[in-house]
Amino acid sequence: MSATLEVPASFRSSALRPGTLDLLREAVWEVLSRRRLIRYLVQADLKAKGANTLLGNLWWVIDPLLQMGVYVVLVAIIFQRSQPDYPLFVFAAILPWKWFRASVRDAIGSVRSQDRLIRQIKFPKIVLPIAAASSGIASFAFGLIPLTGLLLIFFPHRASAYVLLLPAVALVQFVFTMALALFVSAANVFFRDVAIVARRGLRLWFYLSPGLYSVEQVHDIAGGQSWVGVLMGLNPFATLFEAYRAVVYDATMPDWRALALLLAASLVLLVIGTWFFKRLEPSFAKVL
Amino acid sequence: MSEATPGDGWAIDTRGLGVRYSLRFTRKTTVRGTLNNLLRRRNRAMDFWALRDVSFRVEHGEVLAVIGPNGAGKSTLLQCLAGIITPDTGVVEVRGRISTLMSLNVGFDSQLTGVENILLAGAFLGHSHEWMMARLDDIVEFADLGPFIDAPLKVYSSGMRARLGFSIATAVDPDILLIDEVLGTGDQVFREKSKARIVEMVGAAKAIVIVTHDLDWVTEFCNRALLLDHGEVVAEGAPQDLVELYRERSARVKSKRARRAERFLEAAQRGEVAARR
Repeated sequence: MSATLEVPASFRSSALRPGTLDLLREAVWEVLSRRRLIRYLVQADLKAKGANTLLGNLWWVIDPLLQMGVYVVLVAIIFQRSQPDYPLFVFAAILPWKWFRASVRDAIGSVRSQDRLIRQIKFPKIVLPIAAASSGIASFAFGLIPLTGLLLIFFPHRASAYVLLLPAVALVQFVFTMALALFVSAANVFFRDVAIVARRGLRLWFYLSPGLYSVEQVHDIAGGQSWVGVLMGLNPFATLFEAYRAVVYDATMPDWRALALLLAASLVLLVIGTWFFKRLEPSFAKVL
Repeated sequence: MSEATPGDGWAIDTRGLGVRYSLRFTRKTTVRGTLNNLLRRRNRAMDFWALRDVSFRVEHGEVLAVIGPNGAGKSTLLQCLAGIITPDTGVVEVRGRISTLMSLNVGFDSQLTGVENILLAGAFLGHSHEWMMARLDDIVEFADLGPFIDAPLKVYSSGMRARLGFSIATAVDPDILLIDEVLGTGDQVFREKSKARIVEMVGAAKAIVIVTHDLDWVTEFCNRALLLDHGEVVAEGAPQDLVELYRERSARVKSKRARRAERFLEAAQRGEVAARR
């Protein structure tokens, strides 16, 4: 009997169509059993990104600061639409947005760029978007250095212990990003314009989210029309930016109810995304 | 499943295998293109069968050669056996651990070093870290890359990549080895070495399926052959016979093509081609 255990047998046929629950269970098992692979992929990605630049990972610190500089000049000095302590105000939104944008962009190409590997060996493809979405955490973490610097050196009156709640907000964003990553990475295998649409869409999304401006400004302009508020509430990044700003800029508790709602919605989206990805996975090798 | 021990019985069993490719999603699909096709109802004739009703068995200790012209479905067959593609019809049953060895120019990550790529490959294939570490020295030694093993893969020559790939795929101790068109790679010394290893694996009652155009290899090392054409099994049997059959068939195809070209030329000279339009 021991000999039979040593020999794994496999049976494949199109007649075996796994149900939704089986697919989800399989996905969880694949991710758990390939933790090391995901770690390797993240390391390789970080190495590749660091190796091709002169300043390496220093860009993760410089880049958001540069972008902040641009918006400060544009909004605060040219358009005179400033908020008090505008650099910190806008930095609290730029940092998470850069993380989100980079993660989604990396995830979109994550499956397609491994087309040769996919046609050559059998492995759970779900690790690719997960690794892509995870590797962004490093640059986000590095971005916390200039954030801390800004808070402590230039705006010490804004600093508070609430900043320590930032990882909780980031976690909600991470779950949401992961869900989206699964959808776009699988869809991009079949339609190449996903990447093009995403690039334009992301830009529009940022300007429609209260990143450069505050939610209050929008309400002032809308003049009490409630549908604007409803629309704003449907944007995950309205909730997220508000939450980041609460802990970094306003030194208050974030809106826990809104965050919890977003987390719940993201988890549902994550489950649907996993199912979507697993359903399409068998055709990847044929289409690529 | 009590008979499922290596050394006796079959390792691979396929019954009525069929793989259909949908040409609707090729590399260059865009949403617009797909909508266009849907609107104009250009849906028909977009499927083609890369494999149709393929049935065969590979016993333990057997080396099966799959031969056939380009586009016969040889690589698709290997992809099916490896589990990369799920067949659209029929059944593939496999007993044992599979390792695949396909076009070896593909490194896993060109930024990483040889050793890092070995570990990455192991992680992709689902081997545990301890398991890979135990075999790391063997793989490095067999690849015989010297100091290059610690250099990033991007500086490797294609022969060096092939050696690394072959070492990984065979050192992981597979029960079943699937090889696609890779035996011609590497220098003379490494070619001898890889042949020796394959012979050794056959001795250890491992099943091997090889796709190759090297017909001498087929007659020398394989004990059975399968001739594929247009996704269907033409014949199955002793390597010697099949190689002969294959050579005859390709000669026939060649002469047929030559005749057709001749006729076309003659017609063109008489100006008939233009008139037929």
